[in-house]
Amino acid sequence: MEQPAVIIRCENINKKFRSKTVLEDISFEIMRGEFLSLLGPSGCGKTTILRMLIGIEKPSSGRIIKDGVDITEMPPKERNIGIVFQNYSLFPNMDVYHNISYALSAKKLEKDEIDSKVRRIVEMVGLEEHIYKKPRQLSGGQQQRVAIARTLVLNPDVILFDEPMSALDAEIKVVLREQLKEIQKKLKITMVYVTHDQEEAFALSDRIMVLNDLRIAQLDTPQNLYHRPADPFVKRFVVDHLDRKVRSIEESIR
Amino acid sequence: MKDGLRKAGRFLRHETLRLISIGCIILFAILPLLTLAFHVSAKDWQYIFSDGSFKDAVRNSLLYTGAAAVITTVLALIAAYLLNTSSLKHKKLFVILLTLGMLVPTISVGLGLRILFGTKGFIDLLFGVTIEVRGFAGLIMGSVMTSFPATFLILYDALQYEDKGPYDAAEIIGLKRLSTFFRLTVPYLRVALISAFFACFTLIFSDYGMPMEIAGKVKTLPMYLYDQFMSSFQYGRGSIAGFVLLIPAIISFGFDLIFRDYSTGEKQQKLIAAEQRFNRLTAVCLILLCLILFLPQAAFISLSFAKAFPNDLSFTFAHIGNIFSNTHGVGLSAYIRNSLLLALLTALAGTCFAYMLGYMSVRKEGKAAKAVDLFALSTIAIPGLVLGIGYIFLFSGTNGKFYGTILILVVVNIFHFLGSPYLLAKNCLSKINSEYEVIGETLGISRGRIIAKVLIPGSVTTLVEMFSYFFLNSMITISAVAFLCSYDNQPLSILITTYEKNSNYEMQSVISLIILFLNIAARGIFSAATAALNKRGNREIEGGIGLERNEFDFLTYLEKHGRGMYSQRKLADDLTITLPNASKLVREMAGRDYINELADGSIEISEKGLKALEPYRVRKAIILAAGFGQRLAPVTLNTPKPLVKVNGVRILDTLLDALTAKGITNITIVRGYKKEQFDALLEKYPTLHFIDNPEFNLANNISSAVHAIDLIDRCYICEADLYITNPDIINKYEYRSNYLGAKVAETDDWCFRKRNGYAADYRMGGTDCYQAFGISYWNGEDSEQLKADLKKVYAQRGGKENLWEMVPLRLARKNYRLEIRKCHKADIIEIDNFIELIAADPSYAKYPGYEEYSGK
Repeated sequence: MEQPAVIIRCENINKKFRSKTVLEDISFEIMRGEFLSLLGPSGCGKTTILRMLIGIEKPSSGRIIKDGVDITEMPPKERNIGIVFQNYSLFPNMDVYHNISYALSAKKLEKDEIDSKVRRIVEMVGLEEHIYKKPRQLSGGQQQRVAIARTLVLNPDVILFDEPMSALDAEIKVVLREQLKEIQKKLKITMVYVTHDQEEAFALSDRIMVLNDLRIAQLDTPQNLYHRPADPFVKRFVVDHLDRKVRSIEESIR
Repeated sequence: MKDGLRKAGRFLRHETLRLISIGCIILFAILPLLTLAFHVSAKDWQYIFSDGSFKDAVRNSLLYTGAAAVITTVLALIAAYLLNTSSLKHKKLFVILLTLGMLVPTISVGLGLRILFGTKGFIDLLFGVTIEVRGFAGLIMGSVMTSFPATFLILYDALQYEDKGPYDAAEIIGLKRLSTFFRLTVPYLRVALISAFFACFTLIFSDYGMPMEIAGKVKTLPMYLYDQFMSSFQYGRGSIAGFVLLIPAIISFGFDLIFRDYSTGEKQQKLIAAEQRFNRLTAVCLILLCLILFLPQAAFISLSFAKAFPNDLSFTFAHIGNIFSNTHGVGLSAYIRNSLLLALLTALAGTCFAYMLGYMSVRKEGKAAKAVDLFALSTIAIPGLVLGIGYIFLFSGTNGKFYGTILILVVVNIFHFLGSPYLLAKNCLSKINSEYEVIGETLGISRGRIIAKVLIPGSVTTLVEMFSYFFLNSMITISAVAFLCSYDNQPLSILITTYEKNSNYEMQSVISLIILFLNIAARGIFSAATAALNKRGNREIEGGIGLERNEFDFLTYLEKHGRGMYSQRKLADDLTITLPNASKLVREMAGRDYINELADGSIEISEKGLKALEPYRVRKAIILAAGFGQRLAPVTLNTPKPLVKVNGVRILDTLLDALTAKGITNITIVRGYKKEQFDALLEKYPTLHFIDNPEFNLANNISSAVHAIDLIDRCYICEADLYITNPDIINKYEYRSNYLGAKVAETDDWCFRKRNGYAADYRMGGTDCYQAFGISYWNGEDSEQLKADLKKVYAQRGGKENLWEMVPLRLARKNYRLEIRKCHKADIIEIDNFIELIAADPSYAKYPGYEEYSGK
C-alpha cells in the first residue's frame, strides 16, 4: 500500500509562554522523505515548533497529527521522532558504539540484536573505524554522524535538527552540509532542520518555511522563495540577503 | 474549580521530589531557627536589654571580629594575589599549606596559641618573655588564623577566573605591578572581596571553639549564648543571643545572593610566562605566612611529644601511646571511631543529598527549581551553634529515636555544611550539556539512567570534592554537635572541650594531633582518588580500552620482532623489567588473548593484540620544511636545506625512509622557500602531500605549524633537516605524547630537562640535560590542546616570531605532559652549519663560495 505523502500535519497551533504569544495559528504539513528547513530570525518561534514536534513542549492549542494519529499529548519516546542538537549532545563518557547502542539496551533488547543493529548503522554512516572512540576523539563531522546514527538506530520516521551547525567554522559547515545531504538522500528519511542561516537552508532544503512575527511568512521551494517572495519580509530576509552575499563575493573576486 | 484541583494535583506529582527536598530543608534548617522564637518571652527581652554582660558580649564580639576580619581579608588578598601572579612551581603545595588550618578544630588553634604564649608557654620557656594573649590580642590572632584558609580560598578562586588580557595590555603600556594591583585586581575582585570579608566575619563571629581557649576574661557572644543554655538554662535569653548571631550571616547571605555570581566560568590561563622577577620575594612571603599560620599546630604537636609540659620538655611517645589505653572511662579509640563514623555517614548522605539538590535546581525545569536553589543556599547563613540549639528545642521529644542518636548528628552536620557542596554540585551539573535528558526522552532512556550513566560519571571529581568537604568539616566541628551528642557518640572534637575545662593541655594536644593526622590522611586519600579518576579518564581518552605502559611496550616489541621464541629472561632484559614481571605480563596478555602461544612454545601478537595497539598507531607525519636554512649558505642559496644531499642522499630522504619503513605513509610537508623543488620528492615518494606556507620568510616556523594545524592529530611533527642514521627512532606506535631527546653532558643547542618525568626547562644550551631533536609525537588529546594553543599564541602580539615548539615546551607547558623519548646522539646527525656539513660529507669542502660565507 502506498503511504500517504503527508507524514506530519500541524493544525492551528498556538503557543503562549505565560502571556507572551510565540506562535499564532500555525498550520503546515511535512511531506514524507522531504528535507524541510525552518528559517527565521532568532526568536521567531522556530525552535518552539521543533520542541513541540519532539514532544518536550505542548502547544497551547491546536493539534499535531502524525500518520493520521494525534500525537499532541504523546510523550516524546512514543513518537518515533529523533533529534540532533546544536552541539550533538553525545554522551561524553561512552564510545561511539555505546552512544548508539544505549537506547537499545535501555529497551532491553537481546545483545546480539543490539550488536547487529548498531553495526549496520555504523556502517551506514561510515564510522566503522571510529567505533571505540570517545566523542572527544572525533572531529565535528564525525560527531554529527554519531548523533545522527544514535537517532537512526531506533528507526525514526523523522529526524529533527536544532541549528546543528551554528557554532562551526564556515569551512566545516560546507563539508557537514554535504554529508548531511548525502545521508538524507541515501536513507530517504524525513528531516526537519531549524536554522537562521539563509544559505544553509537554501543549500539543503527541498522546501523552506520562513517564519516571522509569530506566523509562517512563506512555505515554499527555494526557487519559489527566491523568485516569488510572498511579502516584503521574505524579500528582505531571503532574497536581498542572498543577493548581497553574491554581490560581495563577486566584487571581491572580480 | 475542578480544573484548578487537577492542576494542583499534577504540580504536586510532578514536583514531589523537589517539594520533599524543600520540606527537608525547612524541617532541618529553617524550622529549628523559628522554634527559637517560641522560647523568647517579653521578660527575656527586657532582661537582655538591661543586661550589661549581654551588651558587653555583643560589643566584644563586634570589636575583635571586625578587626580580625579586616586583617584576614587583607592578608588573604595579598597571599592570593602573590600566589596567582607568580610563576612559582609548587602553587598547589602552597595552597595546601596555607589552608592546613582547615584540618583542625578552631579550638585547637586557640589551644596552640595558649601553649605558645601563656605563662610557661613555649615562648616564655625559650625566650623568657611572657606575652599575655588571653583577651583581645589572642582573639584577634586566633581569629585571623582560623578564618584565613576559607577567606584565602574564596579570593584565590576568584582570581583564577580573572581575564589575564588586561594585564598583558597593562604591561605593554608600561604600568607598574603595584599599580595594576590597585587598578585592575582590586576593582575586579570588588564583589569577591566584600563577599570574602562577610564570610570571614560570619565565621569569626559565630565561632565558639577558639575563644573558649583564648578569650580569657573577655566574654564573646557565642560564649554568652552557650552559658545561657548550658549553665543558666535561660533558653529565652540564649535564643535572643542566637538571633543576634544570625544577623551578620544573613547580611552576608543577602549580599551574596544579590551580587555574587556563584557560577564559575572557565579558568583562565596565563599564556605569557609570568614575570620571574618577584618569585623569590613571593616565595619568602608565602613561606613566612605558612610558618606563622602553622605555629599553633606546631605548638600542640610539640606538646604531644613532651614528657611533662612545661617542666620537662624531653621527647616522649608516652602520650601518643596512651591514646588507646583507658582514659576518660573509655579509650580514645572509641572517640576516634565515633568521629570517623560520623564524618563518613555525613559525607555519604550529605554528598547524595547535595547532589540531588543540585540536580533539581539546574537540570529540571519547573516552578520549584528556584525555590530549591534558594532554600539550599539559605543554609549557608545558619551558624552551627544556633542550629544546634534549634535542634534541641525541635527534636528533644524524639529522644532515643532521633534525638540522642548518631542520626541527629549526621543530619545537623549535613544541613550545617550543605551550602558549599551544593554549590559545587550545582556548578558542575550546570556545565554538563543540558540536552541529555531531552535526548534521553526521545530515545526512551529514562532520567534515572541518564543520571547514573552520564551525569554521575561526568561529575565524579566534584563528588569526591563534596565528599571531602563534608568529611573534613564533620571531623573538626564543635558548634552544633556540642549540644546534641550523647555520651556514647561523642566525637573527638567535642572531647577537646571536655579537657579544656580542666586545663589538660596534654590530652587536648594529643586529640588535636589525632584529628590533624586523620584529616591529613583523609585529604591524601581524596586527592589520590581524584588523581586516579583523572588518570583513568585520560587513559580512556587515549585508547578506548587503554593499555598499561608495560603492556604497550610488550605488544609493540612483539609486533616489531614478529613470531618467535622469547625466553622470559630475554623479555625481561629487552623490556627492562624484572623476571617475575615478565612472566606475569606474558600470562596476563595471553589471558586477554592479546598474544597467541603456539604449540612449539613461540609467541606472537594476536589479531586482538593488534587491535588493542591500534589507538596508539602513529597516523601521520607533518614535516616543517619551509625555512631557508641560513646557516648552510651558500649551499642553500640554490637548494632548500632538506633537499641538500649529504653523501649523495637528500637529508629529508633519511626521514621519509624511516617513516615509510614504519608504515607511516600519510606525510605532509609544509614548504615555503624554493617550494617547487620539493616536487622532485614525488618521484620517490608519490604519496606525499604538500602545504605551502607563503609566510615562511616573515614569521618563524610557528607559521608552518599553523598552516598545517588541521592535520595535527596523533602524528609526528618533524623538522626537515635531521640527517637520520638510525631509522628505529621512528616508531609505528607511540604510547604518549613525547619529544625526542638525547642525554648529553653539555650542549649549546636547544635542550630540556626532565622534571616529574616530563620535559621542562626548554632552553638554548645547558649541562646534564637532554638535547632536543625536532621529532615529537602528539596523541589525540594533546593534539587538540596543541591546536588551540598554537592558534592562541600565533594571534598574540609578536606570536609569529616564536618557534612552534616554544608553545608546548615553554609558553603553555602547563597544558602538556610531554615525555622525553630517549635516543642516542649518534642516531641523528644535526647539520646546522657548514662545518658540520663538511664533517658529515667532506666533498663540501670544495663548495664554491664557502670561504666567503664562513668568513675565512
